[in-house]
Amino acid sequence: MQAGKSSSDLEQEVFSQDLCTSCGACVNICPYIKVVRDKVAVIEPCGLTEGKCYDFCPRTLTDIAALDKSVFGKTRTDYSLGPYISIEMAQAKDSEIRCRAQYGGVVSALMKYALDTGQISNAVLTRPFDAAMMPASVLVDESNQMAECTGSNYISSATLAKLNEAAKQGKDSIGLVGIPCQVIALRKMQSSKHETGAKGVKLVIGLFCTWALSYKGFSEFLKGKVDLSKVKRIDIPPPPANIMVVETTTGDVRFSLDEVRKFIKPTCSVCYDMTSEFADISVGMVEGIEDWNTLIVRTPAGKKFIDKAKKAGVLNTKSLEQTRLEHLKEASSIKKKRAVDAIQKRTNDKKNLLYLRLSAQEKKKFL
Amino acid sequence: MVTLELNQPGKTVLMMGDEAIARGAIEAGVDFCASYPGTPATEITESLARVADRFNIYVEWSTNEIVAFEAATAASLAGLRALVAMKQNGINVCADFLMTVNLAGTNGGLVLAACDDPSAISSSNEQDSRSYARYADLPLLEPADFQEAKDMTSWAFELSEKLGLPCILRSVTRLSHSRGNVELGELPEKKRTAKFDGIYISGAFAVAQHVALHQKLEQAREDFESSRFNFYVGPKKAKFVIVTCGSGWLYSREAVAALGLENKVGILKIGTTWPLPEKFIIDHLKNVTEILIIEEVDPFLEQNLKILLAEQAKTLGSIEVYGAKSGHRPACGELNQDKVTTALASIKGLQPKARDGKYVEKAKEALAYIPPRMPTFCTGCPHRASLWAIKSALKLDGRDGFVTGDIGCYSIGAGPAGYFQLKTIHCMGAGIGLANGFGKLDRFGFNQPVIAVCGDSTFYHAAIPALINARVNNSNVLMVILDNGGTAMTGFQPHPGSGCDALGLPAPTVEIENICKAIGVEVRVRDPFEISQAVQELYDMLQENGPRVMVFRRRCFRIEAKEKLQEKYYVDQSKCIGDDCGCARFCSRVFNCPGIIWDQEAQKAKIDEMVCTGCGVCATLCPRGAIMVRGAAS
Repeated sequence: MQAGKSSSDLEQEVFSQDLCTSCGACVNICPYIKVVRDKVAVIEPCGLTEGKCYDFCPRTLTDIAALDKSVFGKTRTDYSLGPYISIEMAQAKDSEIRCRAQYGGVVSALMKYALDTGQISNAVLTRPFDAAMMPASVLVDESNQMAECTGSNYISSATLAKLNEAAKQGKDSIGLVGIPCQVIALRKMQSSKHETGAKGVKLVIGLFCTWALSYKGFSEFLKGKVDLSKVKRIDIPPPPANIMVVETTTGDVRFSLDEVRKFIKPTCSVCYDMTSEFADISVGMVEGIEDWNTLIVRTPAGKKFIDKAKKAGVLNTKSLEQTRLEHLKEASSIKKKRAVDAIQKRTNDKKNLLYLRLSAQEKKKFL
Repeated sequence: MVTLELNQPGKTVLMMGDEAIARGAIEAGVDFCASYPGTPATEITESLARVADRFNIYVEWSTNEIVAFEAATAASLAGLRALVAMKQNGINVCADFLMTVNLAGTNGGLVLAACDDPSAISSSNEQDSRSYARYADLPLLEPADFQEAKDMTSWAFELSEKLGLPCILRSVTRLSHSRGNVELGELPEKKRTAKFDGIYISGAFAVAQHVALHQKLEQAREDFESSRFNFYVGPKKAKFVIVTCGSGWLYSREAVAALGLENKVGILKIGTTWPLPEKFIIDHLKNVTEILIIEEVDPFLEQNLKILLAEQAKTLGSIEVYGAKSGHRPACGELNQDKVTTALASIKGLQPKARDGKYVEKAKEALAYIPPRMPTFCTGCPHRASLWAIKSALKLDGRDGFVTGDIGCYSIGAGPAGYFQLKTIHCMGAGIGLANGFGKLDRFGFNQPVIAVCGDSTFYHAAIPALINARVNNSNVLMVILDNGGTAMTGFQPHPGSGCDALGLPAPTVEIENICKAIGVEVRVRDPFEISQAVQELYDMLQENGPRVMVFRRRCFRIEAKEKLQEKYYVDQSKCIGDDCGCARFCSRVFNCPGIIWDQEAQKAKIDEMVCTGCGVCATLCPRGAIMVRGAAS
């Protein structure tokens, strides 16, 4: 990664450019950078010329091929979905988990299994509705603490800030569930020369993600329409519905997605990763099928873990039809193309891709 | 304290100027004292509070100066003797009442002790309050030493009673706060009972009253002609005379002596500076050709004297006048012997008598031993945490928000101690007042959030009308009330939220949050030492519109530390990794509490246990968790 840059550079290149993803990688490693809700800021320049904060950020120089090498030991051949070992459909065998989860409940089932069998001792998860609709990242060490950490949410919380805090408490053998930007940051932390708590992360489950909403804009939008303290769950039903359903204790409220899209974080438009390409395992929805997830196994460690989970009867699996796979690849490629376009629009320079460094082959495909 | 009670007429005791004023009031049989604390006036009322029971004096710390003045005036109207003491800014707060009570008149002796702070040592402004006497047509007395501070105060009550007007007694920091010999007078037997039976209405007969006021002032002038507080010292036929008053008197004497001019220069010392004892002055200036006017701050005596000289040109002839206008005396800042000696020497063409030749050199050498220091908050001060929380919330908000400041310990938050957060400071209550206006500028493209900080005592004193204004006009302002439980800056006098009175006895409280609720604004109360929560809630409140109040409540640690044993903190130097941390010495360099120092030898942070009060905030901020409580399990 790039060395020799500081928190002031981070502020200038990322925060002030609206590129912060609120992943939390730079938070809780020093007293100067803080997060509230999904807002991260350098409170006071620390004065150092080189900072971990800059190195860890998913929106500072991110060399896809170099990351491939450090995570997978080889570079990718699939430019749409990144490196993977297998792709299939899966669901939690436990119908109770499935019932609480948004789709097939695979993430909850796997994390519960990992904790219960001691394959990890701690898990950094997200509770989607902590207070006033804002999700919170939480650290749990037993699966019975996971109850509220289920279902999708559309605002990102600073998951890696929680990981940094856990590391300070000396926690290791950690499992982490994150969205693509968080997984990228985590991998940057793990491959960094610095001492970081990310080295204690043993299992990374990445979620599919198309965008996240800014807390401020979205909560202000909702405030006039529903009582935020009564929000139970937010759901975006599969296309072509084009709506968002906000479930509250007093009933459902529906909005057109077009209304909501205004509040997508600007940084999501430059995001190159839909399927958490650097996770051990990536999990997302299957378009058109409510009860199942897409499960991408990427690393050998991920494969080992999934094989065990299958043997232990945690999951039902079946193959993902070719047309659906093609569809997934297309969706991911579209996100990449859009990201590259958006970046070029920002820099006004075809060759300047800001934080993104692509191999010659990838450039050929997406530029 | 004992000296104030001494009933030994003729005994000489050492007294602080403010104590001497209090003793003067006691010797005049003062019955009632109401004030608002303010340096350098505070000790007058505190002194009276200590002997309130002994002399049957009612003493209160009022909500603000105008209320104090009005309350004291009520006692006067009921025939009692009353004293009200305040610093210069307080007079401004009183100005409206001052300009009507002069017309409506008073009954029992009423003395306004106005204590100015030349050089603004403990003030937000430098102001010469004497102009209020001329403005309001009220008699003005200026004590020049400790004895006069006592004696003039006693006399001021008589004068006030005789004229039916409040009498202004002007002190300055150097008199109020230093000590000198005072010969005690007799303690009176107090016999007054209170009864109101007059009519004191200003307005209906304002012009007639104004005419009468001028007549009263003429009467005062006649009394002043023979006052023992006006006198002349020096050679009989001096051609050169220093005319001086107040603190200038002692400096002038020293200057004349230092230059060896005792046989050539006379000093005309005026104690009654408004209205001027004209005949007395003319008599002493008949053979004089040059005068140097020595007074502190404004050319008040100078201008009035110049008018007199112009009027008396035929009698007195042409007199050369030196003073502030001529540039011989600075019209700003505190006076001292050096300044007066320099003025006199330059007029006389003398070299000021040199001190020890190496004095300046030695002084410079000595200065090198004094480490440079910025004004800072005490160790354990809640304001440090509050301002760090404010800074963090504004930075996270990211819209270039700023803080309008107010008067209190937290005013130094404009400097490094408060991370340069306060961007405006004026008078008490101005922070929320200004914020009110900023909060209505949205239609002109203004989108910066505004935080008005305000102390608890300042809230009661001057901020409530502005908060009401913000409510009714729906101004976008976040008011942060820094509630440390008392009027901390002046020595922790009680305020309406403290639950005790000036004598330390239990009193009802008026809760800040109840006032805010009654006004109809959202109010939250939080502990600033819970910094993360404080930051988050402030951030959330910044996202809202309309008026909002956050009360950061945490008792002043100077008081807290006295009342109960505090925990001992230390840096576990096995956990602190010094410059390898990446925190860049956050605790000792940025958070900057004087209780945390850098251990040069170990190259690690260290708690200065002599200074640390054990508040523990730094322990929550250290990224390594290296700051620990002694005895606690790690």
